[in-house]
Amino acid sequence: MSEIAHGSSEHGSAKSYVIGFVLSLIFTFIPYYIVVNKVLSGDALLATILAIGVVQMIIQIVFFLHLGRERKPRWQLYFFIGTVGAILVIVGGSWFIMKHLHYNMTPDVSKKLIEKEGIGQLGGKDTGACTGAYTLHNVIIRDGVVSPVLTEARYCDRLVFINNDDIVRDITFGAQENPEDYSGESNVVVRKGRAKTIILNQQGTYRFYDNLAPDVTGIFSVKPADQK
Amino acid sequence: METSIEKSHHEAHEAAANDRVMFGFWVYLMTDLLMFAILFAVYTVLHGNTMGGPAGRDIFSMQLALLETLLLLTSSFTVGLGMIAARRGSKSHVLAWFGLTFVLGLAFLALEMKEFAEFIHEGHTMQSNAFFSSFFTLVGTHGLHITSGLLWMGVTLIYVIKRGLNAPLLRKLALLSLFWHFLDIVWIFIFTIVYMGAFV
Repeated sequence: MSEIAHGSSEHGSAKSYVIGFVLSLIFTFIPYYIVVNKVLSGDALLATILAIGVVQMIIQIVFFLHLGRERKPRWQLYFFIGTVGAILVIVGGSWFIMKHLHYNMTPDVSKKLIEKEGIGQLGGKDTGACTGAYTLHNVIIRDGVVSPVLTEARYCDRLVFINNDDIVRDITFGAQENPEDYSGESNVVVRKGRAKTIILNQQGTYRFYDNLAPDVTGIFSVKPADQK
Repeated sequence: METSIEKSHHEAHEAAANDRVMFGFWVYLMTDLLMFAILFAVYTVLHGNTMGGPAGRDIFSMQLALLETLLLLTSSFTVGLGMIAARRGSKSHVLAWFGLTFVLGLAFLALEMKEFAEFIHEGHTMQSNAFFSSFFTLVGTHGLHITSGLLWMGVTLIYVIKRGLNAPLLRKLALLSLFWHFLDIVWIFIFTIVYMGAFV
């Protein structure tokens, strides 16, 4: 057995695997706890979970892969370090460049200002911007059936039309004989198998129907945000 | 009759050959890691492009992702114990630990397929938007690696049953365990960036 036991990278004892396993479990549950219980948010949360992810990787590399414990010259270690360098350039560089490009190239700038930056007024007019937490309400259309038919939501919640059918849905607001706009839009086109989200920034009760198949219809009612 | 000098010479030769094979496989793993890095970069850039559809935070189940992580993590542990048994030459322990690893890997794959099926059932496919395209590509590529790892493991275990723990099979098991640990590390980043990152 000895010729194999001495071959290649150093291997670990059962103890090293147990230590690695326990540490990995700890560093899995810590970020899970932080995320699920919303202990942190925003950049602090992102930095924390990424840091823990890197710690987790190092634990597994040391205790499971036993990298760096091979005989000299340590080609595996050097190759690994070089790869990590390349990865940092690829992932970090892509993220850095695309983040800026993306932000500055969004086609509808005013829409971005209203939705992302929460600009409440534009040119003296109320924009109806919604910011902060919200609840998502799914309206699923399958085989021409809308479910649920009535959605009760609060101001600034999101309504998601999910079209599970093989035809396009032209969701039009209002009743068939009397179409009306919702939040400045007369309709939402949901292609087959796709979903579309609208922001409920106008209160009241509204009907909607598929302009191409008017019997596909439903209602949503938007109550003030504070009303439980 | 073999003298002790000849024998140690033979051992050194064998060890050097093992080192070469190990390093070659390591180079493959690193290039594979680069491919995953590019898929991660694509996901990082595109995950916000949902075309009005739900984002990751609206559809991901953290419990499911945690369960998948625990399954894969445990399997990475059991494959390590399997390697210890292999070096000791204990065939029955090798079969037990690698068999357990196989079952855990299969359970992981089943959960992943369940998640994918639910998304597709809700109308979220690769064609839906850039978020789902990059999500399915990244996580699916990892799942494909797990699938091929399971196939490889199954075949190797059959050889172990038939031929016992000879030197070439021990080398194969060592490479397989390296591959499996590697997949666990890639998953740690999927868990961190894709699943937990969605709730930032």
